[in-house]
Amino acid sequence: MLNEEKVYEAISTVIDPEVGFNLVEMGLIYKVEIKDSNHVIVTMTLSTQACPLHQMIVQWVKEACERVEEVSECEVNVVWEPAWNITMANENVKKALGA
Amino acid sequence: MFAINRDFAPPFKLIAPYFIIGVLFYLLSSLFAFSLDISSIGYMDPSVIAWVHIFLLGFIMMIIFGAMAQLVPVVLENGHFAVDLYYIIWPLLLFGTLMMAYGFIFSPLALPFGGLTVLIAMLTFLFDTFMTIRKIEKKLNFTMVSVIIANIFLLLGVVFGIVLALGYSGMISINLADLLKGHVYLVVMGYIVTTIFGLSMVLIPMFGLSHHFSWRPIKTALVLMSIGVLSVAISSLFDLLALSYFGYLLSALSLLLYVFQMFVLYKTRARKEHDVYAKSLYISLTSLVSSFLLCILYLFSKNEAMILVTGWLIFTGFFGFIITGHLYKIVPFLVWFERFSPLVGKEKVPMLANMIPIKSANSQVLFSALGVFIGAYGLFLSNNNLFKVGVLFLCVGGIFLLRNLIYIIRFK
Repeated sequence: MLNEEKVYEAISTVIDPEVGFNLVEMGLIYKVEIKDSNHVIVTMTLSTQACPLHQMIVQWVKEACERVEEVSECEVNVVWEPAWNITMANENVKKALGA
Repeated sequence: MFAINRDFAPPFKLIAPYFIIGVLFYLLSSLFAFSLDISSIGYMDPSVIAWVHIFLLGFIMMIIFGAMAQLVPVVLENGHFAVDLYYIIWPLLLFGTLMMAYGFIFSPLALPFGGLTVLIAMLTFLFDTFMTIRKIEKKLNFTMVSVIIANIFLLLGVVFGIVLALGYSGMISINLADLLKGHVYLVVMGYIVTTIFGLSMVLIPMFGLSHHFSWRPIKTALVLMSIGVLSVAISSLFDLLALSYFGYLLSALSLLLYVFQMFVLYKTRARKEHDVYAKSLYISLTSLVSSFLLCILYLFSKNEAMILVTGWLIFTGFFGFIITGHLYKIVPFLVWFERFSPLVGKEKVPMLANMIPIKSANSQVLFSALGVFIGAYGLFLSNNNLFKVGVLFLCVGGIFLLRNLIYIIRFK
């Protein structure tokens, strides 16, 4: 049965090539909602609005999400509020970055 | 909301020549510096002017133009008006720079032709940039404004430059010293520094993961620099000495505010690693601060050597390191984007940091830094041998830089 954990696990395969961490541990994925017919809505942000990989990262998240067998379709919304900051990342990331 | 997509991103084969030629010019300018006899030169000496043009046009402008091919869509949030124009900009800039250097060293008659070729290269760049700016529909942000201001100053600087070239070759009669002041200020402070202001506020917070910082210092710096550059440019046309000093003062305050803004970004960054990028920024800003101190010394001593050292530190230290540091971020990204991004999700791809030869990059930073500061000390003491030792280190740093660039470009 499809649940949020499965989706988060799939998205955690997407890595930001600049910092070398996956988007989930960076704290960039704000919310995962599973609607009727296993339609998934991912609400996420990026570490900067000027990210040159913006569109590609969104596409990678969508593809990773749709690789989960039960997902019928994935929609990715990028938001800038609340703005991301390092406190949203997990402890491993903070430690590795020296934050 | 904005995203760069493959339609906006220029192909790497378009941008690569700018970086390769730019780094070759970095090396060439270092080799050329061996021919300078600093015990007898002044800042108006043709060999110094030739070196300045090789360094500024061949290295700095070549790499800025190449970087702008990729960054204009990111910064202006629009695709280029005609990105293919970048295929003709670098050959024109290359040919024009070499011809100008030849003109300064061997034959002033070559100057107008070199200058005209550079003018065409820059007008082509400006045409694409201004036409891209026209496509902006959203409210202008700080970086967009700085790009617009910088390019207006570049246009004015190029016009001053071509008039100078005509005067230098004897085709027209003008006051070279006055107009040179306006030309240098418009291009160096008006274009290069203003561009650095704008791009720094996109790139440095992005790479350092800085958040929740004040923009007030850099916004004030941009206003002061704009008024300062205009003041010096106008003073150079009408011989208004007081206005030029007013311009210098504003520019100095502006640069101090820029340094303060960099300190703010440093304090608010989440990424605290001291990688080759961070080290390059530290050396760049240290050079800038050192040049301030020398300017203050010059006010008291009126020793012309101080002006030469200030110029050396700003060019090879501040500009040199901020540009080479960013090459270690921009070039791996472009190569990765072209070669590895299509493989994401299909196979394991490298991280950008894996694409940099760390030891060799650190060697480049070390040798280039030694070159900058030993060279500066040699200039300060008017000691030719010490200066040449610095130049030698700079050459070794340049060789490492070229090697690293090739390594990144060929990374598989």
